[in-house]
Amino acid sequence: MRLPSLTRTTPFRLTLVFMALFAASAAAFLAYIYVATAGEVTRRADEEVGRELDSLQAVYARGGLPALNQAMIQRAVGDRPYLYLLMDKAARPVTGNLAQSPLDDATRAPARATFRITDTDPDGAVVKSQGYGRQVRLPTGELMFVGTDIGPGRAAVIRIVRAIWGAGVIVILLGLAGGLFVSRNVSRALADFNRAVAAVAAGDLRARIPVRGVRDEYDELAVGLNGMLERVERLMGSMRHAGDAIAHDLRSPLTRLRARLEVSLMEVQAGHADPQPALATALEDTDAVLKTFGAVLAISRLQAAGSIAEPKAFDVSEVAAGVSELYEVLCEEKGQDFGAELGRGLIVRGDRDFVAQAVANLLDNAVKYTPEGGAVMLRTRRRASGEVEISVTDTGPGIPGADRERVLERFVRLEQSRSAPGSGLGLSLVAAVVAAHGARLELDEGPGVLDGHGPGLRTVLVFPAA
Amino acid sequence: MRILVVEDDAEAAQAMCRGLVEAGHTCITAVDGVKGLEAARGGGGGFDVMVVDRMMPNMDGVTLVQTLRREGDNTPVLFLSALGEVDDRVKGLQAGADDYLVKPYAFPELIARVDALARRRETGSVHTLLKVGELEMDLISRGVTRAGKAIDLQPREFQLLEYLMRHAGQSVTRTMLLEEVWHYHFDPQTNVIDVHISRLRAKIDKDFDRPMLQTVRGAGYRLDG
Repeated sequence: MRLPSLTRTTPFRLTLVFMALFAASAAAFLAYIYVATAGEVTRRADEEVGRELDSLQAVYARGGLPALNQAMIQRAVGDRPYLYLLMDKAARPVTGNLAQSPLDDATRAPARATFRITDTDPDGAVVKSQGYGRQVRLPTGELMFVGTDIGPGRAAVIRIVRAIWGAGVIVILLGLAGGLFVSRNVSRALADFNRAVAAVAAGDLRARIPVRGVRDEYDELAVGLNGMLERVERLMGSMRHAGDAIAHDLRSPLTRLRARLEVSLMEVQAGHADPQPALATALEDTDAVLKTFGAVLAISRLQAAGSIAEPKAFDVSEVAAGVSELYEVLCEEKGQDFGAELGRGLIVRGDRDFVAQAVANLLDNAVKYTPEGGAVMLRTRRRASGEVEISVTDTGPGIPGADRERVLERFVRLEQSRSAPGSGLGLSLVAAVVAAHGARLELDEGPGVLDGHGPGLRTVLVFPAA
Repeated sequence: MRILVVEDDAEAAQAMCRGLVEAGHTCITAVDGVKGLEAARGGGGGFDVMVVDRMMPNMDGVTLVQTLRREGDNTPVLFLSALGEVDDRVKGLQAGADDYLVKPYAFPELIARVDALARRRETGSVHTLLKVGELEMDLISRGVTRAGKAIDLQPREFQLLEYLMRHAGQSVTRTMLLEEVWHYHFDPQTNVIDVHISRLRAKIDKDFDRPMLQTVRGAGYRLDG
């Protein structure tokens, strides 16, 4: 899958927003600095010019206009850094080193002004600068202007502002580069996620997100999503498996049913048979199919759920007592001895009905495989470990040690156990019930060979202590 | 009996009705919860039993039954559901249903349960003495006699016979017996119920010419007076 254009990624957009904010605040900052420093330059010039004016006015006060004229000539040709101009009442220049008042309205006074200075330096080059000055009117009506060159101060301010602008541009460029870098990394990390999600969406439930092993939040998310995918895959698998199992279990009885109905129909049409027994048999077959269906459904549900939805505490011995009461007569009917040794207060958590069914299925098998004259024993007890066990022991042929493992495996693999009709389903249910309770199933040899019977089988359900 | 079948699968409803009519009942169908509620409330009401599917469009079975119960309608209700979990059964019964049957079901099972529900309504009064033909059961002293002759029964046999006597003349299925007498909601692999029945039969029918406890092919058992 293609990476999205870098400029469309969220980190890049965030970078842009951040940069815009940064640029705006930097501009405001610069404007503030400019106003503050440029103002300072003018204020200081104003102060200096003010002092010079004061001193000249003191001269005027002492010696009148001639003394002032004299002082201004001296000062203008001296090395003072000021610009001087003395004008008559109509603002016509009298003396000074300025050609005319820089004020637009030369007769205005008192007044302040910023103006351009164009001068030639000793080498003859034209130097442009900026000046600041004040103009006052003397008591006798003449006008006096004093200014100063504020070019160097201004230039310093402008250099600082330019420097800050330059730094701002560099910061913005670096920021953009950083944003692109981060976006590219995020896009790469997310590309793994997107690839996996697209694969799952396309039907490949085995797709997983690579975990980079750097234990960052992407890894955390990847591990979480992989766990989820695993669960989904397992559930889908068990659903499919349940579907296959149902199809497998129902196909043969349904086929048989169909065949019988077909033959019966032919016979009835030919007039050799009475339809009633055929219909009755068909009904029985259908009942058997429904029963199988119910059992397979229960197993699949348990397997898909993986655990009991609302576990409740109950006494295993009570359940065992109930089921043994149900089966005792069956044993007697088959000429088997039935014994029950039930402990007390053996509390486990789970589903009472399912456990009862599991015990019933074990007793079913025991009665089925134990010959006449044999014995079936149901026991419940607490182990030293605190675990609770329910065991069914019979004196039937048992299962050879080598096969026990295999049989247990078959319990796990639903469909394989199903190849043996009848009991296979019962034990599959036991296995499913056991798994859903976090319990385990143990197979053991029975009491041994005696009178041509045996060695027998001991099936044990071991529940964790409640 | 007048039976209302509320079921959204029209074909299933038709088949069910044919069977119910065959069994001697009158059957009316409704295709969803809302229609079912209308039929139950309507002038033509007065049903003996209602068979209600749980999952239906417009109004599900649970809501339908809850509504009827709130309105004071106590017609026995048999829930039908494709959900077989014990929890669903409990929820259905809590909603006010009287019995619960999981699809797919055998038709005799349905008939037997519908009969049992209708009968339960008729015999609302409390009896301390049950009497079916020659058979008498004293629920206080827990004594059972047939034609005056005492029959000794184990506690479970007594409960089994009590249930059969309360449903005398009706078919009861093995599943119903397992649910009502043993309180188990699963199908045993072998028909253990048959063994218990044959024991009981030995005790009540052995010394008499006329057997009272009948096997009903394809359905279960029936105690005849």
